[in-house]
Amino acid sequence: MKTLYVEGDTFLHRLSPRTKLVGLAALSLFLFLIHSPTVLSVSATLGGIVYASLRLGWHQSWLRLRPILLTIAIVALFTLVLNGWHDALIVITRLTALALFAAAVTATTSTGDFIDEITRLAMPLERLGLVRAADIGLSIGLVIRFVPEILGRYQAIRDAHRARGLKVRPLTLTVPLIILTLKNADEIAAAIDARGVRAQK
Amino acid sequence: MDIRFEQAEARFEGRTVVHPLTLSLSERRIGVIGLNGSGKTTFARMINGLVLPAAGKVTVNGFDTGKDGDKVRGQAGFIFQNPQNQIILPILKEDIALGLKSRKLSKAETEAAVEAVLARFGIAHLGERRAHELSGGELQLAALASVLVTRPDILIMDEPTNQLDLRNHSLVERTIHSLDENIIVISHDLSLIADFDRVLFFHEGRLAHDGPPAEVIARYRELAA
Ligand SMILES: Nc1ncnc2c1ncn2[C@@H]1O[C@H](COP(=O)(O)OP(=O)(O)OP(=O)(O)O)[C@@H](O)[C@H]1O
Ligand SMILES: [Mg+2]
Repeated sequence: MKTLYVEGDTFLHRLSPRTKLVGLAALSLFLFLIHSPTVLSVSATLGGIVYASLRLGWHQSWLRLRPILLTIAIVALFTLVLNGWHDALIVITRLTALALFAAAVTATTSTGDFIDEITRLAMPLERLGLVRAADIGLSIGLVIRFVPEILGRYQAIRDAHRARGLKVRPLTLTVPLIILTLKNADEIAAAIDARGVRAQK
Repeated sequence: MDIRFEQAEARFEGRTVVHPLTLSLSERRIGVIGLNGSGKTTFARMINGLVLPAAGKVTVNGFDTGKDGDKVRGQAGFIFQNPQNQIILPILKEDIALGLKSRKLSKAETEAAVEAVLARFGIAHLGERRAHELSGGELQLAALASVLVTRPDILIMDEPTNQLDLRNHSLVERTIHSLDENIIVISHDLSLIADFDRVLFFHEGRLAHDGPPAEVIARYRELAA
């Protein structure tokens, strides 16, 4: 997994992160309230046009959208078998529209902007004394930063098992992975302290 | 720079790892050597307050590590043994900017500071890169940039040339020699600290020798032989 942001200067890049996030939230609500296949198909087509306007190229777009589109296909297939073609059509158009708009937003919002916006949106919670808003933004950044690292470590442990002729079982892999991850978590926490990221102002 | 240890001691789970130590540091470049497990990292972490003394006290430029941890860490930057755990945000530029958050700079000022520090370490081309894709040498330089962007008075580095290939090793070594900050470098790489102003040699949690590099390194070689 990588961060999905791409540099650029399209209309969507210039739109404020807040407009995009709030817009996306409103749109998804709308898509789930609508049951007309026609309106949903039009939405999916619009999503396709918006996404295409980012000019990522066919290959890039396919690489980015492949996992989510495959998931949608599977869900639609099950719906087809269980509920018939009408429901399947609704599911496929609704989820495709959502996926395309969401992908367009993630491709045009940098992680930094995204974190800043989440932090701002969490400010009311901070005022209620529930959390520190900056921590929520930081946590999201940490997840995006370290998920690839943890996946890489999972592969390294799997390779180490294979190299030593040990059977690769999810459980035997998980235990060393958890230990390594916790050890790293300690170091990352120390780094956050050392760099004064959470220092009281 | 003015670092003082006054009978400062570090313990983990009741075990003393750094025995009561009294010492004052003001030289610009200080090396720290010793066998594995001798307490070097713990000593360094005591300086920036990541490890607090179980007894005694440590002050950095007048700030007590136990009472003024945040201020101490503003004075003393730290580069960890594993620099990959020190890059906190996915994109290098964003990570470097993170350290400046509490300064409340404008967006343009932040960007200028980030560009300047990237250029300083010759890694301007890595700004948009993802941290998990960087090589060992690139990570070490990135960690330097992320710490020095806040202009700390003192920079502590824990085995900065560990695990680097020959080219990255000399790149990082040259970079360290070109720094004009006060530096404290822990290293098993004796040539790196051979021309420093002072070297501390830890053995079994005690400061066994302390003085000019040639002398202290000779003692270390005797012990290791
Ligand atoms: N967080 C901790 N909890 C318990 N024991 C620790 C902790 N950190 C260090 N130690 C112990 O303290 C002793 C000194 O460790 P330290 O990491 O300071 O050594 P070092 O000189 O840096 O070694 P190396 O050259 O291997 O990095 C070791 O015996 C170590 O096991
Ligand atoms: Mg160490």
